[in-house]
Amino acid sequence: MIEVSGLSKNYGDLAALSNVSFTVEKGQIVGFLGANGAGKSTTMDILCGCIGADSGAAKVAGYDITEHPLEAKKRLGYLPDVAPLHLDMIVDEYVTYAAEIRKIDRSSIKSRVDSTIDKLALGDVRKRLIGNLSKGYRQRVGLAQAMVHDPEVLVLDEPTEGLDPTQIAEIRKLVRSLAGQHTILLSSHILSEVQNTCDKIIIINRGKIVTQGTYEQLAASMESGHIYKLKVARNGANAMTTLGRLGLQNLKAGANPEDIEFAVAASSGDQILDDVAKAVVDGGFGIRGLSLKTKSLEDVFLQLTK
Amino acid sequence: MRGVIAIARRDLRAYFSSPRAAAIFWFFLIFMGFFFNNFIHMFMQMTTQAPMMGGQAPTLEQLLKALFYNLHFILLLVVPAVTMASFSEEKRNQSIRLLQTAPCTALEIVLGKFFAAGALMGLVLLASAVYPLFTITHGNPDKMIILSSYLGLFLLVSSQLAFGLWVSSMTSNQFMAFLFTMFGLFLLLILNWMAPNLSGGGMTESVMKYIASSDHLDAFFKGTLSVAHTAYFLVFTGMFLFFTNVTLDSQRWR
Repeated sequence: MIEVSGLSKNYGDLAALSNVSFTVEKGQIVGFLGANGAGKSTTMDILCGCIGADSGAAKVAGYDITEHPLEAKKRLGYLPDVAPLHLDMIVDEYVTYAAEIRKIDRSSIKSRVDSTIDKLALGDVRKRLIGNLSKGYRQRVGLAQAMVHDPEVLVLDEPTEGLDPTQIAEIRKLVRSLAGQHTILLSSHILSEVQNTCDKIIIINRGKIVTQGTYEQLAASMESGHIYKLKVARNGANAMTTLGRLGLQNLKAGANPEDIEFAVAASSGDQILDDVAKAVVDGGFGIRGLSLKTKSLEDVFLQLTK
Repeated sequence: MRGVIAIARRDLRAYFSSPRAAAIFWFFLIFMGFFFNNFIHMFMQMTTQAPMMGGQAPTLEQLLKALFYNLHFILLLVVPAVTMASFSEEKRNQSIRLLQTAPCTALEIVLGKFFAAGALMGLVLLASAVYPLFTITHGNPDKMIILSSYLGLFLLVSSQLAFGLWVSSMTSNQFMAFLFTMFGLFLLLILNWMAPNLSGGGMTESVMKYIASSDHLDAFFKGTLSVAHTAYFLVFTGMFLFFTNVTLDSQRWR
C-alpha cells in the first residue's frame, strides 16, 4: 500500500533524509518512531505530496505521488503534526469542505460527513466553531478531515501529541479500530505508543532508517535482559557494596545515592530479584521500591545506534 | 472545477465570517463617500460660479471621472488587504496542508482563491454604485460611461487581485504580503508619471507607459471600450495567476 524507496532530502547542507526505504502492507498499522528532528515529518510530507524529495520515489496505493499526484491523493488522508484547521469554520462546515475538495461523490458527501463525525464522536460539537474547541477535539476534527473520503491510506503525524491521557487512550483505540479497513502509518516519539498500537515499527534516526520489524523482533534484537530501579531508605553507598557481591550487571547509583539501578540478564531468571530484596532487607538499608524500568526511546536509540 | 468552487466558497465565507469583509466594505465606501461629498461641493460651487466668469459649467461625467480616478488610490489599500491572507495565512497556520493533500491541482487552488477575492471585490464595487446612482437620480449623466467605467474598474481590480495573490503565495507573513502588494500596485499606478524621468524617452518610455495601469483605465473612464485595453487587463490578470500557479507548484518541490 505504501512504498517508499530511496528517499533523500537535503535542507541546504543538512541532510534531513538519506536513502529512506520501507513498505507498508495493506491493512497494517505501522509506527514510525524517531526523536524530534529525526526526519519523520519530512518523510510524511514527501509521502503525501506536500514537499518534494531530492531523489527517490514514494507510492501510495500503487500510484506514484509525483507522477500521478491526483490519483494518489484521492486514496490518501493526512493529519500533519499541526492539524490543518480553519479556526473560523464550524466543524460541520469544515468536514464538508474537506469532503468537497477531496472530490467524493456529491450524493454521498452528506452521509460520509455524518458517519465520520459519528465515528470520531464529534456529534456534540458539530455546530461549534473549531477555534473554540479544546486541543483534543481539534485533533479529532483534524482526523475527520483525513478520514472523510474513506482513504485506503492514512498518514498520521504524532496524532496524540499534546493530548491528555484519556484523549490519548481514545485516539489509540480509534486508530486500532481503523486497522484492517485502512492502511495506517503513524509517527511518534513515544515507544509505548507504537508498541501498543502498531503491527510493525520503523525506527528512524538522523534521516536514516535504523531498523524495522515487529516490536518483539526489535526487543529481541535490542537486548535480552531488563533494567530495574531500586530505592533504599538509607546508606545507599553501603547498599551498593553489598549488592556488588551479587554479581549484578551495570550496577550504578542515580543522582541520589539511595537510587540504584541495575540490569538483570534474561538467563539469570527472576531469582536474582529475591536475592536483591533479601540483601537489602538483611543489610538494614530498608527497601522503598523495586521496579522494572521501561525502556525509553532513548535506550532503544542508544542500543540501536551504538 | 468542483475544487475551484469549493475553495472559492470557503474563502468567500471566511471573508464574511471575520471582520475583514466588513472592514473592507467600510473602508472603501467611507473613503469613496468622502471623495464624493467633496466633489459634489466643488461641482455645485463651479456650476454657480462658471457662468459668472464666462466659463463652461462642469458636467456630471467630469465629476464621476474624478471620483473613479480617486478610487484607484483607495484600491491601493483595499486590494492588498483582500489578498494578503489568501495564501500567507494558510501557510502560517498550516491549513495549506489540507489543500496540498487534496486531489486538486495548483491551478484549481489559485482560481478558487482568485474567484473568492474577485467576488468580494465585485460586491464592494456593486455597493459603491450607490454614489453614481445618486447622480443619476439627481441629474442626467451618461449611463454608458458609468457602465464602462465600472467594467474598467472591475478589470483593474482583477489584475490587482492576481498580483496580490502572487505576492501572498510567496510569503507566510501577511504584513509583508500587504506591503509588497501595495508597493507593486503603487508602482504600476505611478509608472506613467515616472516614465519620462526613468527612461531616455523613445521606446523605453512608451513600454513603461504601456505597463502602467492608468492609461488603460483612462480609456474606460472616457467611455471607450477597446479590445487593446481590455486585453491589457486580461493578460495582466492571466499572467499573475499563472505566476501564482508556478509559485505554488514549485513549493511542493522545496
